[in-house]
Amino acid sequence: MEYELKLDQEWLWIGLPTELDHFQAEQIRKAVKDKMQERYIKYVIFDFERTSLMDSSGIGLIAGRYRELAVRGGQVYVSNVHDRMKKVLTLSGLYRIVTPWEQVMVSESENN
Amino acid sequence: MSNTNEMQVEFDGIGENEGFARVVVAAFVSQLNPTLEELGDIKVAVSEAVTNAIIHGYEKTRGKVRIHAKLQENRLIIQIMDSGKGIDDVEKAMEPLFTTKPEEERSGMGFSFMEAFTDELKVESRPGEGTTVTMVKVMGAGNGSDDRID
Repeated sequence: MEYELKLDQEWLWIGLPTELDHFQAEQIRKAVKDKMQERYIKYVIFDFERTSLMDSSGIGLIAGRYRELAVRGGQVYVSNVHDRMKKVLTLSGLYRIVTPWEQVMVSESENN
Repeated sequence: MSNTNEMQVEFDGIGENEGFARVVVAAFVSQLNPTLEELGDIKVAVSEAVTNAIIHGYEKTRGKVRIHAKLQENRLIIQIMDSGKGIDDVEKAMEPLFTTKPEEERSGMGFSFMEAFTDELKVESRPGEGTTVTMVKVMGAGNGSDDRID
């Protein structure tokens, strides 16, 4: 499966492909760059729902978006991370800079 | 010595073939009935080594990547070779987070991932001649096995 992008105001949702490798990461990076030129984006959600493989290129992609958004006070979220992907994300130390989307939803509902 | 099985495949070092390389190795190792987790580990490790060959070994040029895999009892021994520019300082290249290409958003974690997802990793390189990455994955060992070759 290919990646998908959806825009909603300052939010960009990225539906990641089945296998996020160097080749796919490059395509996504270019597409995101275009979107960010077109629109002011502050928040990005990487959705792993369909993803069953990610290598270190995916880490570079996510960390790169974090660097871009952090300077404008934005944030990067990850969502639907399966156990397999959790292993990769944890190993990379990426959880120090990204927030699981489900965690945000839980604290939202607790506040309401 | 007994029960061994080998395969070799060679392909152009282009991004489109990264997925192909993963699938070929996964199909070959399926004879050992790996768990889904082991299969996933192998695919990530192959992906890292092939990506390195393409973007670091060959950079903007195009060359061939060769994979040689061997099944020996419950282990997979896999070599990923390129004839690219080689690595000047292998030890440095293997340091976590070290990358020569930060502008391309390389995370510098390729070798760390290969190390984490296999049981053994060896990197041999000669500047100007190419690089060979050898990895061993032991099926049924779980992570962190200290089983060794020969």
